[in-house]
Amino acid sequence: MDTVVNVAALLFFPGGLFVITAGLFYEWIDRKIIARLQNRIGPRWFQPFADTVKLLAKEEVVPEKVNPFFFVALPLAALAGALTAALYVPMAGLKPAFSFPGDLIVTVYLLGLLTLCTGLAGANARGRFSLVGATRTLTQFFAYEAPFLLALLGPAIAAGSWQISEITAYAETHPWVLLSQPIGFIVAMIGLMGKLELPPFDSPEAETEIVAGALTEYSGRGLAIFHLGKGVELVIGLTLITSFYLGGLANPLDFLLKTIGLLLVMTIPQSLMTRLRIDQTVGLWWRYGALLVLVQWLVLFAWQIV
Amino acid sequence: MTAVITPKKEKFIVPIGPQHPALKEPGHFEFAVDGEIVTDATVRLGYVHRGIEKGTEARTWTQNLYLVERICGICSHIHALTYALGVEVLAEVEAPPRAQAIRVLVAELERIHSHLLWFGVAAHEAGFDTLFMYSWRDRETIMDILEALTGNRVNYSANVLGGVKFDVTDAQRKVILEGINFLEERTHHYLNVVTTDSMFLQRTRGIGVTRLQDAQRLGIVGPTARASGVMRDVRVDAPYAAYVNFPIHMVVETAGDLEARFIVRLKELFESFRLIREILDNLPPGDLQVKRFPRRIKPGEVISRVEAPRGEVFYYIRSTGSENPDRVKVRTPTLCNMASVLSLSIGHHLADIPMLLVGIDPCFSCNDRGVAICTSDGGHDSWTWERLRQFGIDYYANKV
Repeated sequence: MDTVVNVAALLFFPGGLFVITAGLFYEWIDRKIIARLQNRIGPRWFQPFADTVKLLAKEEVVPEKVNPFFFVALPLAALAGALTAALYVPMAGLKPAFSFPGDLIVTVYLLGLLTLCTGLAGANARGRFSLVGATRTLTQFFAYEAPFLLALLGPAIAAGSWQISEITAYAETHPWVLLSQPIGFIVAMIGLMGKLELPPFDSPEAETEIVAGALTEYSGRGLAIFHLGKGVELVIGLTLITSFYLGGLANPLDFLLKTIGLLLVMTIPQSLMTRLRIDQTVGLWWRYGALLVLVQWLVLFAWQIV
Repeated sequence: MTAVITPKKEKFIVPIGPQHPALKEPGHFEFAVDGEIVTDATVRLGYVHRGIEKGTEARTWTQNLYLVERICGICSHIHALTYALGVEVLAEVEAPPRAQAIRVLVAELERIHSHLLWFGVAAHEAGFDTLFMYSWRDRETIMDILEALTGNRVNYSANVLGGVKFDVTDAQRKVILEGINFLEERTHHYLNVVTTDSMFLQRTRGIGVTRLQDAQRLGIVGPTARASGVMRDVRVDAPYAAYVNFPIHMVVETAGDLEARFIVRLKELFESFRLIREILDNLPPGDLQVKRFPRRIKPGEVISRVEAPRGEVFYYIRSTGSENPDRVKVRTPTLCNMASVLSLSIGHHLADIPMLLVGIDPCFSCNDRGVAICTSDGGHDSWTWERLRQFGIDYYANKV
């Protein structure tokens, strides 16, 4: 019986089908809202689904002189990492499927796997745009990963646990952590946008410079899988931030309202800002992002000691 | 045209074009990069060479009016205007004052449309898509005005030899003024955005600085030159058509960076708005066309220059007394400005390159007419006309 439940958790809920569908749905919301903010009509609700189906049905062209094993395996590893991470977060406001002390760190690293795989895939594909894109992807990876993790550790310190379910329980029983740690919330949100390479942090895939960045050589299935992985990561990131900073996730309705609300907030910088150059992105992180979180931590420690 | 700056081998080269999302038309650029910094730049143009100059020799003087209008999709009126002004000088005919005023009116409307189009594209290159969408939405106003006035959105076909085709009615005058008022308000907003938005300024202020002496040395024209403090505008230096009666104030900035190029183009819009209002209020009475325009034009040659939205358009026209021109030579502003992109890009970030490229408002299909041969060992070689002709003869002789 346990095995059946575990397999169901992997394949249907909270991992697998559910989170993939949710990822595509959230992607549509993101695209639609930005389109409306930009005075455009925007895609219909099934557009991300249609794109994925179309890409999956297309031929996958493997370029010459690449390692075919890595070319095929890297997207799979990326999606697998993202889907595994979904098991440890309170998806849809329910209890995480699996939980152990310190799973927060594991989850954040599983999320990082997607970016790492994207960078490696770009380096493996050997195209000129792919290589520049891969360099930028990995540069950005080292820039945002630390502040994002530090920002998520803020609530963890307040809760006195590195277990996601316990931090969520802490957030539910206390006033919103957003109020006590506003800097951490902002850094976490921007960190998520950086992770997902959303505008204005999209220089790793800046189309006017390097076409599609690390994924330029990908077509068909590989591209679709990377795309799905990104959608999954969006949902998990939103879930983590809302459950930590926005008073936990008590039930599915709570989950829906809070995550979509956060997504709406995230569309504003996406449509209001000019793309940052990669040196500007990195500078922003290390000069302000990491520093601000450390200040937040000092305040937190001081407050706990007092 | 092929220009090479210190060719070096075994560099990591990022190719931009012929097909690339940053380019709206085909051109080929090779940027050697060291990490993110560009160390070397090469351009190869000529992908959209259409043989229009040669084509003019097989058409009559009147037919050519429609052919040259298709040299550029954005500044189509300017080309027809330059051609018409040149041919009128050759034929010793002068278009009536009302026609000249309407020509300038359409030219200024076209300038507004072109600058707004450029503004959107430049914002898109910087990754600021919201500004792109908004400026192109507003640009629709000017497209509607042009359609209401001339019947067409792109090739207005306003000119005939010796005049213009249409008059401005009171209803059209009202539509134009309403549109201009709306656009003036929007332009104030855009000027505010490009001078105060800190994120946008990070990408434009101090980027791609062209100093005055460099601009003069490279022979840069148009708003790009005026952004570097070069006092160069054909409308002021050698007024043509109705610019004699409706003078324009030259907009000049001295910073020479991308921000200055934005400011110059947006401020030129205000000049255009002012001029359009002035023309509509003081439209001279009289005919729209001369009564008769000769079919054959007596032998002679003429140089005709006008200020297109991108800079100086130059026409050389020669007649041998027949129904067709003997030679029409066109030089468009992009050709003059292209060298500045190459010299500017060295030392800049790869991310700034699309912005620098768009900063000159390039229009590839207008300027593609030169011949350059790339040899297999990477060398470049310019061919003379005789050599090209001989190559053509030999090529077809061997083929048969």
